[in-house]
Parts: sequence; structure tokens; C-alpha cells
Amino acid sequence: MVSHQAVGLFPAPDAALAAAGKLKGAGFATPSLMSPIPMEGVEEVLGEKKSVIKRFTLMGGIIGGICGFLLAAGTAVVYLHPVGGRPIITIPPFLIITYEMTILFGILFTVLGFFISARLPAIRERVYVPEAAVDKFAVAVEVDDDAHFQKAESILREAGAEEVRAMKEEAA
Amino acid sequence: MPDNPRKLQFADVNDDVVRSLTQTGSAYYITLTVAITVTLVCFFFPWFYQLNYGIGAAGMNQPTVWGTYLASFIFWIGLSHSGTLLSCVLHITQSSWRKAMYRSAEAMTLFSLMVAGTMVMVHVGRPWFIHWTLPYPNQMGLWPNFRSPLMFDVMAITTYLTGSSIFIYMGTIPDFAAVRDRTTGWRHHMYVMLSLGWRGTDTEWHRLGWAYTFLAVLIIPLAVSVHSIVSWDFALSLVPALHQTIFAPYFVVGAIYSGTAGIVTVMFVLRKYMNFEHYITDLHFDNLGKLLIVLSLIWTYINALELFTAWYSGTSTEYEALKYKLFGYYAWLYWEMILFCAVAPLLMISKRFRTSFVPMLILSIVINIGMYTERFLIVGTSLSRQYLPDSWGVYVPSSVEISIMVGTLGMFSTLFLIFVKIFPSISIYEIKETMDQPGEAATSTPGTEGGAD
Repeated sequence: MVSHQAVGLFPAPDAALAAAGKLKGAGFATPSLMSPIPMEGVEEVLGEKKSVIKRFTLMGGIIGGICGFLLAAGTAVVYLHPVGGRPIITIPPFLIITYEMTILFGILFTVLGFFISARLPAIRERVYVPEAAVDKFAVAVEVDDDAHFQKAESILREAGAEEVRAMKEEAA
Repeated sequence: MPDNPRKLQFADVNDDVVRSLTQTGSAYYITLTVAITVTLVCFFFPWFYQLNYGIGAAGMNQPTVWGTYLASFIFWIGLSHSGTLLSCVLHITQSSWRKAMYRSAEAMTLFSLMVAGTMVMVHVGRPWFIHWTLPYPNQMGLWPNFRSPLMFDVMAITTYLTGSSIFIYMGTIPDFAAVRDRTTGWRHHMYVMLSLGWRGTDTEWHRLGWAYTFLAVLIIPLAVSVHSIVSWDFALSLVPALHQTIFAPYFVVGAIYSGTAGIVTVMFVLRKYMNFEHYITDLHFDNLGKLLIVLSLIWTYINALELFTAWYSGTSTEYEALKYKLFGYYAWLYWEMILFCAVAPLLMISKRFRTSFVPMLILSIVINIGMYTERFLIVGTSLSRQYLPDSWGVYVPSSVEISIMVGTLGMFSTLFLIFVKIFPSISIYEIKETMDQPGEAATSTPGTEGGAD
């Protein structure tokens, strides 16, 4: 299954954003933007973005904290090392291990969450314009057929696109 | 390039950075050869000698069983502190002057941590058992004791190394993608792998922004904990002058102080030899100078406090340790440290000094010499003056130790030189963020927007 896309290249972020808004308003699927820098105001045009990363971070922190404490406390219980009648499970030093493991797992889960939610690493060919890594702002939108493409192209050109390309990508 | 009055465009940033990666002059190869030679001759050769001969090749003995190896360990861990920590703090506070320099600063963190880790191996004498410090299931009935500060160290440093590597990598993914499109051959294949198929879509930027901020928030307390824990290696002993509650903040401030000075040194070298004059400007030196002077004042205060606590304790052992530090065998090192780290940095009160590149370079090196001395004094003077005169003795580093100390510099330089040819050493997309957006009127110069916030 191949998906056809119309990709417009813009010299400035505002024009690209306006074109994306118009495409969405004209009934196209939600377009995706490609830019050399993070663009501001995308959410106002294309709708709010929600990220699951924070849940990953939280889960990682909790799992790490529990594992860290269990690691230290479990070690103390299994390898008994009584010191002058003091408690076997000593809280202050074990809190340090807990703290470090909380952060370690928090970091690792954040990375996992990032990869999953940003769909990286890429496992299939996707629409890409190398100019968008330099100084162009691209708007890519899925089109069904030639007539649909021409409609998208006219909207893109009208909004100030310097160039409109017809591209293909493997559908997910 | 500096004489070129034309305003920088987005494409110029890509050009400059790709050029810094692909065009390599003979000066680079000469420096790399020297660095590798120093590493092999001054670091690995003496280390192999020590492994073969035994740990007696080092000057460490009773009562001073910790020497320059541990001083180097603390020094390099300390140097690692400013990079990622400063980068995270400036990211959270949205200081845009961070953007031109943070990548190299983070690399500094990573490589100093690697050097510090190697120093531990040199110090322990039997590095082939280093894996015994890790909690892994084994048939020896062996498991680490998590009440020991040394175990805190293992956990903290492993976490910090993991966190810093991930942080620098995540921030570089978009730049790998930008470089990927411009390179050919093996470089292209490498960047295809490293960029993971990044396209710069709105969703990718959004996710990266979130993940990056979360990482920054996690790494700040981590970095503070790492050097606190290193300080507890010493403070949790019962040695006079080491058993002090001030040690954690003292180490953390010292670490950020020497790390910031290290950034100044690295920025000077990058600016000069990688032709990044457009991106790393006097504004960065000015801001770093302000930061340094604040840190030097805090550091001086804590040092005064340390003296006062020892004097006020009224304990004969603490008092003896204090007297020994100020007037004993190592006193000249103590006063050198005060001169280098407390007095000399006062020069940075002058803005003219802060914005002059060569004086700042010299001062940053002077500060780090002073900070190395500080670490040596913490380890050396305290252990050589313990409770009873039968545990008094002078420690002088052997030639093996001194050589390895010099060799760490070569190792750090080698790693850094390899880094600047693989990683874009300034952040392409973040520099662009500070520039005028295409289609806008020209108002600012790259990397300087936002000023000293």
C-alpha cells in the first residue's frame, strides 16, 4: 500500500503554518510540517498535541525507586551483616540508592517514551525533503488522486509555496 | 569569515558545521597525534608498569593511602559537572546564550566522566575485579554492600554517565539528520544510523522538546547528587578535616566552579581552531565570567567556613589538621590554591577582562590548576595528619603517579578531538532558533539573543 503526498516548500514558517491550516480547513487529512527548527504556534493551527512521555517518565521513576530500594534492602536481608545491633534495613544509605535508581529509570523510560511517541527509529521510508533541514519549511499532506493533488497544490501555491512536489511513501 | 559583513543565513550554519566535520587541516592531525602519544606514553605505559610491578609503583602508603589518583578522579568528576548541569539549568531557564556552547560543554562532561572512571581503575590496583562492584547474579556468593559510600559512587556515576550520554545524543539527533543530508561515504552511513530517520516533523519536534526538558529536570538533581556522593567517600570517614558536614556543598560548588572554568578553556579552543567566531562571542565569555566570579566567591566562603569550623570545634585533632594545612609541609600548595582560586578570579570584576579572550583562557587554566591542588590537598593533607603522631607521614607522588596525572589530559584531549569530528560541536538547530527567522527583518546576531539572562 502506497500513500501519495503533496509536499509544499515554503521560505518562511508563518506561510507554511497558514497553508497547513487552510489544507486542514479544506477537508484534507491533518498535514504534517517539516522544519529546520521547532515551529511555534503549530498547536493553534493543527490542534493540541498530547505526549505520553510524561507518563513514561513517571512510571520509570516509580519503578526505579521501588527497584532501587528493593535492591538495597533485599541485599541487606539476604546477606546479613549485623552492625552493633543497628537495623538491618537502614533507611538513609538505602535512600541514596533509591534516589539514583529513580533517576536512572526515569531517564531510560523517558528515552523509551520519546522513541515510541516520535516513531523513531524509522523503520519504513517516509516523505522527506532535505531542504527542510536547512532553511525551508515543508507542508506534507496525503492525497487520494490527481484531482485531489491539484486541489492541494493550488492551496499550497496560493499560500506562498515556492515548490510543490508529488511524493510517495509506504503506508503504515 | 570574521571580516565578512554579510548577515548569517540558516544555510550558512549548516555549511559551517558540516565544514567543521569534514574539512580537516594538518593542525588537527598533529594535535591528535600528540594527544594520542601523550595518552599512550604518559598514561597507559606507566599504568601497565604499575599493573606489572604492583600498586607499590605509586607513592601511596600508610598513612596516606589515597594519592593523586583519587585527586585526579575528583578533579575529572568535578570538571564533568558544569557541562551537562549548566546546560540543563540554562535550558530550564531558557537562556539562549547557552545554545552556541552547550554541545561542547556536554561533551566535556562525558569525556571527563570517562577519564574519571579510568582513574578509579588505576587507583584500585586490581582493575580486573572492577565488575565485583556491580550487583549481578554470580556463583561466588558475592554481592556489594549498599551501605558503603563507594557503592553510592558506583550507582551515581553509572547513572550520570548514562544520563549525560543520552542527553547529549538526544539533543544532537536533529543535527545528525542535517549533517546526514550533506555527507557522503562512510560518514553518510554513520549519520543515517545516528539520526534514526529524523525528519523534523512537528510531532518529532514536539516530542523532542518534552523528552529533552524531562531529561534536563532529571539530570540537575542527579549531577548535584553525584558530587555530594563523591564528597561522602571522604566525609563519612572519621579522619579529621574530612569528617565535615560542609563537604557535600563544598564539593558541588568546587565542581561547578572548575567545570565552568573548563568550559571557558574549551570555548576558547573551539572558537579559535574550529572557526566558530560567529557563534561563540565575547558575550559568552562575559556571561561565563560572571558565573565564575559568583562561584569563586561561594567557594571562598566555604573555604573560610571550613577553617572556622575546624578552629571553633576546639578539638585538638581538628586543630592540628588545620595548623598542618595552613603552615605544614603542604602549606605552599594551600596558599597557591587560595591565590589561584580565590584571589585571581577577582580580576573578572572588570568587564574588559571578561570579554578579553586570551586573559580569560589563562585565568581558566589557572583556576583549574588551583582546583586540582584543592583536590590533592583534601586527600593528601588530611590523611597525613590523623589522630596520633604514629599515623603522621608525608606523601609525595611517585613519577608513575605524576605521569598518569599528565596522561589524563592527553586522554581527555584525544576523546574530545575525536568528538569534534563526529558530533556537530555547535547545535545547528538551536543556533538557528536564535537567528532571525527567514522572512523577518534582521535584528540580532546569532547566539547572542537574550543577553545575560
